[in-house]
Amino acid sequence: MSIIQSFPLVIILVLLITAFMMPLIKNTKIIKGISLVSMTSVMILALINLDFVHKNGEYLYRIGHFNAPYGIEFRIGIIEAMMGLLFTFVALMIIWYSIYSIEKEIKQSKIGLYYLLVNILIGSLLGVVYSNDLFNCFVFIEVGTLASCGTIIVKDKKENIKATLKYLIMSCLGSGLVLMGIAYLYSMTGHLNINYIHAELVKCYLIYPNAVLISIVLFIIGLGVKSAMFPLHNWLPDAHSSAPSSSSAILSSLVLKAFVLLLIKILYGVFGMDILNHFSVLNIVLILGSLGMIMGSVFAIFQKNIKRVIAYSTVAQMGYIFLGIGLGTNLGVSIAIFHIIGHAVTKSALFLLAGAMIEQTGHKSLAQLKGIGREMPLTLGLFSIGALSMIGIPVLPGFISKWHLSLASIAAGDTILIVVILLSSLLNAVYYSPIVINGFFGEENLQGKVYKSKSKPLKELMPVIFLVISMIYVGIASRGIINLISLGLM
Amino acid sequence: MATIKFNEVKRNIFVSIGVILNLIFLITIFYMFGEISIHLIKLNEFLDIYLKIDKLSIMFSLLVAILWIFTTFYAMEYMKHEGKEKRFFTFFLATLGVTIGIAFAGNLITLYAFYEFLTLTTFPLVIHTDSKEALKSGKKYLIYSFIGATFVLLGMILLFSITKDITFNAHGILPALTKENRSLYLLSYVSMFLGFGVKAAIVPFHSWLPAAMVAPTPVSALLHAVAVVKSGIFAIIRMSYFIFGAKIIKELHVNIFLSILIVISILLGSFLALHQENLKKRLAYSTISQLGYVLLGVVLLNEDAFVGSLLHLINHALIKIVLFFCVGAIMYTTGKTDISQIRGIGKQMPITMGCFGIAAISLIGIPPTNGFVSKWYLAQGGLTSGEMIFPAILLFSALLTALYLLPVITEAFFKKGEHTIVKEAPMKMLIPIVMITIIVVLLGLFPNILITFIQQIASEVI
Amino acid sequence: MEGLMNNYYETGSIILFGIGFAILLLHNNLIKKIIGMNIMDTAVFLFFIAKGYVSGKDAPIIIGAHKGVQGYINPVPSALMLTGIVVAVSTTAFALALTVRIYEGYGSIELDEIIKMRSD
Repeated sequence: MSIIQSFPLVIILVLLITAFMMPLIKNTKIIKGISLVSMTSVMILALINLDFVHKNGEYLYRIGHFNAPYGIEFRIGIIEAMMGLLFTFVALMIIWYSIYSIEKEIKQSKIGLYYLLVNILIGSLLGVVYSNDLFNCFVFIEVGTLASCGTIIVKDKKENIKATLKYLIMSCLGSGLVLMGIAYLYSMTGHLNINYIHAELVKCYLIYPNAVLISIVLFIIGLGVKSAMFPLHNWLPDAHSSAPSSSSAILSSLVLKAFVLLLIKILYGVFGMDILNHFSVLNIVLILGSLGMIMGSVFAIFQKNIKRVIAYSTVAQMGYIFLGIGLGTNLGVSIAIFHIIGHAVTKSALFLLAGAMIEQTGHKSLAQLKGIGREMPLTLGLFSIGALSMIGIPVLPGFISKWHLSLASIAAGDTILIVVILLSSLLNAVYYSPIVINGFFGEENLQGKVYKSKSKPLKELMPVIFLVISMIYVGIASRGIINLISLGLM
Repeated sequence: MATIKFNEVKRNIFVSIGVILNLIFLITIFYMFGEISIHLIKLNEFLDIYLKIDKLSIMFSLLVAILWIFTTFYAMEYMKHEGKEKRFFTFFLATLGVTIGIAFAGNLITLYAFYEFLTLTTFPLVIHTDSKEALKSGKKYLIYSFIGATFVLLGMILLFSITKDITFNAHGILPALTKENRSLYLLSYVSMFLGFGVKAAIVPFHSWLPAAMVAPTPVSALLHAVAVVKSGIFAIIRMSYFIFGAKIIKELHVNIFLSILIVISILLGSFLALHQENLKKRLAYSTISQLGYVLLGVVLLNEDAFVGSLLHLINHALIKIVLFFCVGAIMYTTGKTDISQIRGIGKQMPITMGCFGIAAISLIGIPPTNGFVSKWYLAQGGLTSGEMIFPAILLFSALLTALYLLPVITEAFFKKGEHTIVKEAPMKMLIPIVMITIIVVLLGLFPNILITFIQQIASEVI
Repeated sequence: MEGLMNNYYETGSIILFGIGFAILLLHNNLIKKIIGMNIMDTAVFLFFIAKGYVSGKDAPIIIGAHKGVQGYINPVPSALMLTGIVVAVSTTAFALALTVRIYEGYGSIELDEIIKMRSD
């Protein structure tokens, strides 16, 4: 066993240990430094790990040398390794951005607490992704929920408290359902390890059809609440729009994704295609995904606060991912995972830029942000590139997801979905274009705005520039990434 | 160009060198290499940015490049009155690049990508004046363009599920029509036709074009008489002949339905042009009608009609640019925009109005101008197709064209106007106008070089 | 039907789950919502632990001689549920702290009044 195989565990441990060191240190500069250094080092570890898995194939890592099914094991395949790299990279960029902006949003005394929560959050999300044991996943889910609530509430305003409470209660509802689902699975198979459960389930699912069906539904709804599947998304706009910008970025781009990845792992790893086809529950996911795509965009059109617009846009984008999962083919799931990657980098960039605009002008509403293109040209320019990806301009990852989803729909036989996908991308244009157009053009918009008056210095925008560059890279390298994902799903 | 600070003279030199170099570069490539192709980026089996130069591309790109040079000089003078030249010329050059990209596109996905980019680069040009009205028109333009692009994407995806390879090839690349895929082919073709047709201003998707007249005249002239709308038609030609192929379209019988739509465009465009007081809007509706001519030639599916349509593509571009430039010159020197305001201006701006007259005659279709040649071929094509109604429509529409263009000339030359002294248009604007008018006349007298070249293209395709 | 009656622990836990869910959704008072959440979680714990019960066997604590694996009930669910209880307690504590802050901010813990007051 090479030392590289233990990197995932090392990553999580490093994040958790550095997190707990932070409240002991009083100097905020050192805290920020520790946070940056820890995230950079785990990103490098994730990169080495991905390279290793790519050459040597997936492996199972026993924690503490206890064999499964008695001990907990991590399963590191290509997809898990890619997700590890994605999460750490995006988190690094967000933390880098937050170093400059966090003072303006939360009190000085809470900064150490904030970075502690971020590290714990990323650590727990990675735990959800890597773990091969269902109950271990559940524990990490709970840790993640509490940490993410913490990152919202660390900014002490009234709207935050209400949003956090809603998020907390909905999340607990979700976790309760997931735990019930785990309980059903345990009662049927006696195992908690994903591979073992799968082996047992295929033997016995015909004996307890109702129980299996109930457990699938419990998992879908439980994890659906946590990853904003359509009718269960109510907590998202409040939570993501009232949180500090870097928290919104982490929440929208990473937290939701870890839970939807767990859903993919459970649906396809624990249950597998045969059982899912037998019960045809994937159709529910498909329908809810399509509804989410349309309704999310429709709601976004009516919003006046820029962060709420982006939050509803997240609901719509998660709809794409659910559509991919609901198609039930290998291609569908590959595209869902590709969309996870693309959306993570895009949405984090958009939220950070929106945060920059709000911070510099003090306004949140769209009407007051007109003409901002002259005051902050680089910021709005980067925002437009992100918006173009959402609208579906070729070469950028948004277009590639849409194209492949349409092809996958045709292959799966549901041609009508193409209309839904294209309609949704058109709706995206409806609410993103006004932001960009009113920012850059329009005489009455630009009156009285001084060029570059509120622009952020370049060094503070560097992380966002990196995110945008990586977004364009994801678009260009899409063939390689999708091939890699398909390889991992075999 | 956006980032460097320029003063006026340096900027003008920079832009002119840019467009002239472009033309020289193009001609060199054509002479040295003939037909070549390169894969620019191959992202995966479909997302392949592939540039290929064939005769059709050569024709279109040369047209665009030459006219762009003329417009550059015209714009350098005209934009002095409008301001914000730096932003204007930046997107001006970018649009040139994108249009040539469309000309050189070797497969459908490259065409689609550049098509979307075209919308993005022309949008700042359309809303150049930044007024409320400009923003509203710009929004309309954007909405229509994106809806069109969505239709194109729908058609492309349906097509891709059948073939997997969307490289252009004369005679089409699709397997033969069968009972199962008939509805798929039909849906895909109609969807892409309507989608590209938005940019080509087919009724009912035409109303963005008159609204876009709020842009400065060089923009209206170049983009909406030449680059944007002709790109739409170019895309339809590429899609119809080089992907589907004439045979399959004939079997689909869809050209009957589409020709009805096109005939409506021709007639409606001419009718509405009659009612416009604003000169630019009148020319805009005229464009809608003339584009219908070109598209008619495309869907008639015989060789004469195709030759006529490509000829008219070139000729209309030349004519319309002259017409727009003249109107722009009037606006520049006098500030007047409506037909009722230009009484007697012929005496004071004789060269400008003279060229307008020649171009108008050409558009109506009177020999010895180039408009006559292209209409002749279109009429031939109509006769060959067997339906008498098409030449009849062409004749009727020519009559309407006369009805809406001649009043401009009569008002200008034969009525007494106010006695404010107006100078002739400045040199930089006048020279392009005169030069293109000369080309119009020359192409009418000696059209054969162009015709032989186009016949080569047509024979490959039909 | 007799399946439900025989497994009365599981039936009871599902009924309890439903009650907790209903309380969570239907009551306005925030404290009552948190109590509902707790009842839901407790129901799941009951379900899980009941799954570990083997009738006639002892609790898994060795008193005197070790009876071998057959002599005791399944200890794994109980152990797992300890973790679950810890999680539920921490979540409840967090939720209660938030409720205190809401009370300080809005002056009420009835949800409909808070929604009406949301004037920011």
